[in-house]
Amino acid sequence: MKHEISQKQDASVVAFSGEIDLESSPAAREILLQCFESTSNVIVDLSEVSYIDSSGVASLVEALQAAKKSGSRFSLAAASEPTRRVLELARLDKVFTLYDTVDDGLTD
Amino acid sequence: MSDFPHNKDRRDPRRFDRRKSTNVSAHLELLSKMSGHLAVTLNIEETIQKALDLIVQFVKAEGGALFLLDEKNNTLVCMASVGPVDIHGITLKTGEGIVGQCVAENSSRIVRDVQQDPDFDHSVDESTGFRTRSILCAPMVGHFEKIGAIELVNKSDASGLFSDTDLLMLQTLASAAALAISNAHMAEDLVAQERVSRELELATEMQRSLLPTARPAPFPVCGINLPAYEMSGDFYDFFELGDGRVYFSLGDVSGKGMDAALLMSKTASLFRCLGKTLHEPHVLLATINRELCETAIHGMFVTMVCGLFDPASGEVQLANAGHEPPLLHARNGSFTATPASAPPLGILPLEAGDDGIRKETLHLDDGTLYIFTDGVTEGDLANGRQLGVDGFTAIIRESAGLPAAERIEAVVSRLGNTGRTRHDDITLLAIDASTTCLTDDITHNSAPMVVLHTFPARASELQAAREFVNKACADCGCSKSMATDLVIAVGEAIQNVVRHAYKDVEAGEATLEIVCKDGIIEFQLQDSAPTVDPEKLKPEWPEEPGPGGLGICIIHDIMDEVEHLPAPSGQGNLLRMVKYIESNRDET
Repeated sequence: MKHEISQKQDASVVAFSGEIDLESSPAAREILLQCFESTSNVIVDLSEVSYIDSSGVASLVEALQAAKKSGSRFSLAAASEPTRRVLELARLDKVFTLYDTVDDGLTD
Repeated sequence: MSDFPHNKDRRDPRRFDRRKSTNVSAHLELLSKMSGHLAVTLNIEETIQKALDLIVQFVKAEGGALFLLDEKNNTLVCMASVGPVDIHGITLKTGEGIVGQCVAENSSRIVRDVQQDPDFDHSVDESTGFRTRSILCAPMVGHFEKIGAIELVNKSDASGLFSDTDLLMLQTLASAAALAISNAHMAEDLVAQERVSRELELATEMQRSLLPTARPAPFPVCGINLPAYEMSGDFYDFFELGDGRVYFSLGDVSGKGMDAALLMSKTASLFRCLGKTLHEPHVLLATINRELCETAIHGMFVTMVCGLFDPASGEVQLANAGHEPPLLHARNGSFTATPASAPPLGILPLEAGDDGIRKETLHLDDGTLYIFTDGVTEGDLANGRQLGVDGFTAIIRESAGLPAAERIEAVVSRLGNTGRTRHDDITLLAIDASTTCLTDDITHNSAPMVVLHTFPARASELQAAREFVNKACADCGCSKSMATDLVIAVGEAIQNVVRHAYKDVEAGEATLEIVCKDGIIEFQLQDSAPTVDPEKLKPEWPEEPGPGGLGICIIHDIMDEVEHLPAPSGQGNLLRMVKYIESNRDET
């Protein structure tokens, strides 16, 4: 898994790429939680994520919970089909705000 | 008579006034009269007043009062009074005054002259103008519990003073009164219990009447509900629409007991009422959900499947809100699950449609659709093991030659007659319009494909293992979307081995064997970690969305069969997962 953080308007966009699994999910968790220290709007670009497992989903849930606690925004964007499928299987597709593209998330 | 409560004079009253106590027959007559009164009435107030009247009359007192102990408030309440001053209703603190001490110490008192007694409370005399000279007081003790006391004031003769014989008499009468009051209390409790149990009986009857009556064949829907207790939290129902289609539903209310039963009745009524006009199952569920959310009972929810079967086309429209996936047993012998598209009802407002409660379309094609509650899959067999989805499908396969009603009967009889206490309701519904019986007529003769992958159980190995699964699935002819699902499920299984099985020991190796034959793909994942109790590996959705426990739920959602076994070598665990490719082939 790789990641890149960019600043777009008032949001920090975290673009992950590759696979978020048991090996990389602790790093993903750290990256997301750190973002909230400097910004109150985080959009995760999932377009280049080819696979995410339940430990990766758990990292996203933790970030969402942290956002709710601090009154920040946390949304996901451009999830690929396998990623969407895992969120759906985890019954979490309704829990997250999911945008088709990062731009949709910025203008919403 | 020798064990009567001691009195303050510490003298044996039998030695005094023997002449006055000779009227034994009168005494007996009073006792029998009192017992007669007490026996015919179960009304405590009436009992008390009658008893006091007789006692006052017999002991020849100017007045008397009967106090009952109110343990909750630690007070004595005057329930009956006889004489020139009516003190009915006054309350005293237990332990205070002569009556209070009598009850607290469970001892009788005779105060020949109250003016000489420091315990006497003058306040009542002062407020009423009555002049108390002498007092008799005896406690009443029922079945091992304090009940209260009877107090008599002023002997109605020239002296106005009571004798020890009077006290002895009062003690005897107080004991009889205590017994009568205690009996009346018990009778009241019994009547109340009787009423509750009758109400429960009526409620049970009422609830049974909500279930539809069985229709003779060839009606396509049949169901069974076997409640664990008097009231059920499960329900099913079906009815015909004017155009020949049949609406059916099955639900399970969270929790057990009366509150669950009432919510069940409400939900079942909503289905029957709204189903008459809303002819799309997902719209119906969304509407019922809205109703339940509006009047939500904190923390209670309903998992529910609802569907519309068209016998003309064999098509079923189905919607599933948080319920165990219904299983379609196709003619070729495969089982296909329809997992929930939405959370249970009564929690969040949901829309009907792709973002909320989805409508699924199935074709029976002479197969049978089974819908059941977790009471079925989690029901105990005679050997103590849970039936599970695999056990369920096995019974259905065994009884494939029977009509649908007998097939579901076969499942229930395995769970119902085990001699074990059931803790959950068992509810099962079958939709079957076939004219011929199902047979396992799979006629594939292809050679099986077998591939093996052994790897160290470490997080860094997961990606390679998933690639191996993905390739094997493609080689077996799985569709792309099914391969995605199988990679997710097997990925979670391997992740569990890495994360949990080898948690406390040094990571060893894991072996994944994939066998594909006759339209079935089977995965066997074996490790050499300490054996894990399969009880701990049951899928249980967390109540709050959040991390943890998801992997097992995802595996069960995707796979058609999941089985946790001890490894054949004796050391380690074996997870067997099966997916029927054949019945899902039209999916792309």
